[in-house]
Amino acid sequence: MSMLVRATRAQPVHLVVVALIAAVFVFGMTVSDRFATPLNLANVQDQMVALAIVALAQTVVILSGGIDLSFAGALSFLCVVFASLAGDTTGTLLLAMAVVAGAGILIGVINGGITAYVGIHPLITTLGTSTILAGVALLLTRQPTGSVPLFFEDFTYGRLGVLPYGMIFVIALYLLIGFMLWRTTFGTRIFAVGDNEAAAAVSGLPVKQTKIAIYALSGLLCAVAAMYMTGRFSVGDPRAGVGFDLRSITPVIVGGTLLAGGKGGVLGTALAVVLLALLANVLNFMNVSSFYQWIAEGVIIIAAVSFFAGKGKS
Amino acid sequence: MTATATNAPTKPNRNTVRATQKRELLLLLGFLLVIWAVTTALSPRFLTPANLKDILIQAAPLGFVVIGQMIVIIVRGLDLSVASIMATVAVISTTTIDSTPVIFAVGLMLGAGIGAINGYLVAYRRVTPFLATLATMIVLQGIRFAYTKGAPGGTLPETFRWLATGDILGIPVALIALTVVAFAMHWVLERTIFGRRLKLYGDSPAAAYMTGAPTRLLVVMAFVISGVMAAIAGLFLVGYVGIVDNWTGRGYELDSIAAAVIGGAALSGGKGSVPGVLLAALILVSLFNIVVIIGLSIELQLVIKGTLIILAAAVYMKRSQN
Repeated sequence: MSMLVRATRAQPVHLVVVALIAAVFVFGMTVSDRFATPLNLANVQDQMVALAIVALAQTVVILSGGIDLSFAGALSFLCVVFASLAGDTTGTLLLAMAVVAGAGILIGVINGGITAYVGIHPLITTLGTSTILAGVALLLTRQPTGSVPLFFEDFTYGRLGVLPYGMIFVIALYLLIGFMLWRTTFGTRIFAVGDNEAAAAVSGLPVKQTKIAIYALSGLLCAVAAMYMTGRFSVGDPRAGVGFDLRSITPVIVGGTLLAGGKGGVLGTALAVVLLALLANVLNFMNVSSFYQWIAEGVIIIAAVSFFAGKGKS
Repeated sequence: MTATATNAPTKPNRNTVRATQKRELLLLLGFLLVIWAVTTALSPRFLTPANLKDILIQAAPLGFVVIGQMIVIIVRGLDLSVASIMATVAVISTTTIDSTPVIFAVGLMLGAGIGAINGYLVAYRRVTPFLATLATMIVLQGIRFAYTKGAPGGTLPETFRWLATGDILGIPVALIALTVVAFAMHWVLERTIFGRRLKLYGDSPAAAYMTGAPTRLLVVMAFVISGVMAAIAGLFLVGYVGIVDNWTGRGYELDSIAAAVIGGAALSGGKGSVPGVLLAALILVSLFNIVVIIGLSIELQLVIKGTLIILAAAVYMKRSQN
């Protein structure tokens, strides 16, 4: 048990989120008989896959003291590109995957390069690239376009029992990125840059290159999310990414990662994604309109931030 | 001692700061004139009194919002809730009240109240401005939709519409209002102790605290000003469009940040001028208008806006490094 705690870097705050998940789950069972059914729980998981992937990317960027608002434009652009190239054979699909992954990395390198070498605040840089990419996506097509091979679409809908393939993939991604953060030099550098950039630079770390690599990783994860979303929609929607810039931040913050950088991790984000998805699902069963769900989301952000604000000081 | 003092890099004094500001303003003005000149050469429909008036009226709401956004950015903040404030104020005050002065009075108080909540969260609860205003943005969105059950109704009073669309001696009322507010805010920022303290706080919160300035109150006031500016902008915008909509002002949060950055405000705080950000707002709205006038695809507006944000930020970064 203690090894598990060490390996996952579990914190007392994670226990709070787990307790909230349990509370929402029990509450959900009292609200509706259909809540705790395998079908519903699988649906909830389907709905969190894309958000879980971009929230993972956002976690890494925020840990380094940055922020990536480019998901809105980048997802839309990458979805359109992916659907236009994916065709209906394995060959075209692999080609599309390679192109989209490359484009995602390139977007990240541009974000990271401008942030690191020109010195522009990442918020402004990524807001700029996001706006440009949103425009380009709509210039390419105003209507959803393209297609994906049927077997790929089936794959994004596929399930192993109650676990959708997408969810298994997400769990693997979180383990991989968690391992990278805690067990590799690159991970240590991310924390060092996020904790104190000046100190990291003085101690000889390649801060600028590290930043470029972080945003490139973020862009790559964004590309993966775009492939999944296109598979689910089976077309490339030029507005697919709308809202994902700000939505990707909520789980990171609720999971206890500090916006200032240097503190937090992927476990918190994972738990927060589950909590938010379950909560939305339960509220839907209660017929609470999305209007009140927005109010709840805002209050949760404030509550989480106020809760962690005191922790950051000590 | 004297030797060290002369060797140390000299801090720019007030005059050089003024001179830099002046050069930045001239740069923005030059850029605006260049794009106007190019467009005039490309299309005879651009430089007509009617079109220029359109641009000015359309720039007015953004002008109000960007002044507030800049004041918040000066104190190292950021206000993502401005668009949500615009819509919420417009929806709640115009659907419940029929008298134009009362609509404005209630609207401005609502804006100030929401701004005060943002300021309280940032200054007293130590929430990052980004998250505090993100949360208010989402909460307000929920309250607004719940209040209108998704579909706001009601008609706007005649006087209210006239304020936003009418003119006095050929000058749009909205523009007159913006001019008055802009001069007032410029005076507050450059000529009052409050304005100096805002900039001092942006340069160094610790220094502002040492001088005995009520730093927390300063931050709250900055957000209150932003809330009030957004409220005015929201009311003028619904008056101009003529329809009350739950998404009034959508996109203004990012447009106002873009205009503030293009106009010379720095997210690191302490920098920004009213004429600068107003010129930037005019540049943005002109570019949007030009895209339509020349007959380019409207999505190009987004590409131009994004490019301009990064370019402007890069130019200012280079200047501050030299």
